Amino acid sequence: MNTHLPPVQDAVARRPHRNAKGVGIRIDSVGRTYGERTVLAGVDLDVAAGEFVAVVGRSGCGKSTLLRLLAGLENPDAGDIRLDGRPHADEREALRIMFQDARLLPWKSVVNNVALGLAAGHKAARATALEALDEVGLADRADEWPTRLSGGQRQRVALARALVHKPRLLLLDEPLGALDALTRIEMHALIERLWREEGFTALLVTHDVSEAIALADRVLLIEGGRIALDQRVELPHPRERGGARFAALEEQVLRRVLQHPPAMGRSAAAPFGRWRWAA
Amino acid sequence: MTKKNSTPLHRPYDQILPWLVPLLLLALWQTGASSGWISTRIAPAPAAVLEAGWSLAASGELFRHLWASTQRAGAGFLIGGGIGLALGLLNGSFRVFERLLDTSVQMIRNVPHLALIPLVILWFGIDEEGKLFLVALGVFFPVYLNSFHGIRSVDPALVEMGRAYGLGNRSLFRHVILPGALPSILVGVRFALGWMWLTLIVAETIAASDGIGYMAMNAREFLQTDVVVLAIVLYAVLGKVADAAARWLERRLLRWNTAYA
Repeated sequence: MNTHLPPVQDAVARRPHRNAKGVGIRIDSVGRTYGERTVLAGVDLDVAAGEFVAVVGRSGCGKSTLLRLLAGLENPDAGDIRLDGRPHADEREALRIMFQDARLLPWKSVVNNVALGLAAGHKAARATALEALDEVGLADRADEWPTRLSGGQRQRVALARALVHKPRLLLLDEPLGALDALTRIEMHALIERLWREEGFTALLVTHDVSEAIALADRVLLIEGGRIALDQRVELPHPRERGGARFAALEEQVLRRVLQHPPAMGRSAAAPFGRWRWAA
Repeated sequence: MTKKNSTPLHRPYDQILPWLVPLLLLALWQTGASSGWISTRIAPAPAAVLEAGWSLAASGELFRHLWASTQRAGAGFLIGGGIGLALGLLNGSFRVFERLLDTSVQMIRNVPHLALIPLVILWFGIDEEGKLFLVALGVFFPVYLNSFHGIRSVDPALVEMGRAYGLGNRSLFRHVILPGALPSILVGVRFALGWMWLTLIVAETIAASDGIGYMAMNAREFLQTDVVVLAIVLYAVLGKVADAAARWLERRLLRWNTAYA
């Protein structure tokens, strides 16, 4: 036994979280428009509990919008989203989102960032947060300021912050887009391991087809405001990127993505202009 | 956390350097005064100022004035700053209140508050209330403006994150909005401290029966230039102390911010 392990690591055994099961998603002809621009038009989608789904598409195709609708950050103009058959608004506590940037609060230490929104008392919340930090391998940085961490470490903290709530649905909005290639591969392994241990449903938005195929059970392509491709990935986990089937699949999806010319206009960013926090 | 990044070799040198110019000027002044180049009616020698300070301190009068001024400054600051902070947070947080109040505040802000002195004297007479009113008014605007601006400039991405992580309005304010606005609020506090002393000086020279301003005006009547200069020095010291306190607060509350750490 390694005697140099920090005490936290001794306390937390690697346990499978079979109790926290994933949630099933049903999206029924959901549409979203910003002014004149229709971003999503009649999207239908069923995701089984515990499934890992990746959504790819050109920038501005509406993949991030779909994720924001699922997260409840925006409301659809048409259609219906249900989680485990219940209205989506009632299930907000079951889901957590990871953004493109880590969005850590710079005035809170790493561990307090992870503990954000935990209902338990200070001590219990800290213990839970430390446990989650240990899962992502950052327990030793618990009391530092987020500004002292690297980009990859910040996203790991953000992942811990999402998982500390034991979400049944984890939404990932291109969380690895800004990371370097090596860090991304590490993060893939980490996300995959945690997904298998915890059994949540995962929805990953990415522009990286290879990332989608490395992680997901299904790869969706959004094009022209609807789902244009629903490709199953029947490769065993963990996946070998060098493999022939992996490469063939990647090639196939990539070709399909490139078939159509890029969407006109700018990417579908949320209209923040008039937004006030206490509205 | 290592504390070895400070360079011990340069430390004493760094400490002395900022004081070199003031000390030099003081020495020049003292030589000028004692050799008769500078008339003591215009500027008394530093030693004379020190002596005046000493005798006033010995009689206890100095502390009476100092205490009166500090009390006024503190009370005015708390009242004006408190209202400014509350209103800034309110208007920054709710669009309705901004629409309702901000225009009025901006209009009043454009009136130099010291221009109100005749009116203040009519309203409050020459009692304590008038001075408090002026100080509070002077402190109000910088605190209000910067609190308002601070709330408005909190990163909306962090607010969105807070909402997505299930924070209610109250927790969101406590964990995200207020800490995000704090750097700006503290800038307001530092500005306000400057206005606080300035207003107090003016208010105390007009009408008072104690305080440093009164001490100075009284000394002027008797041509005690040394006491007048002493009063000015005291204001400088008090201003510096207030500023140091604000800096300390910034360093303490904004530890997370690399610009202050």
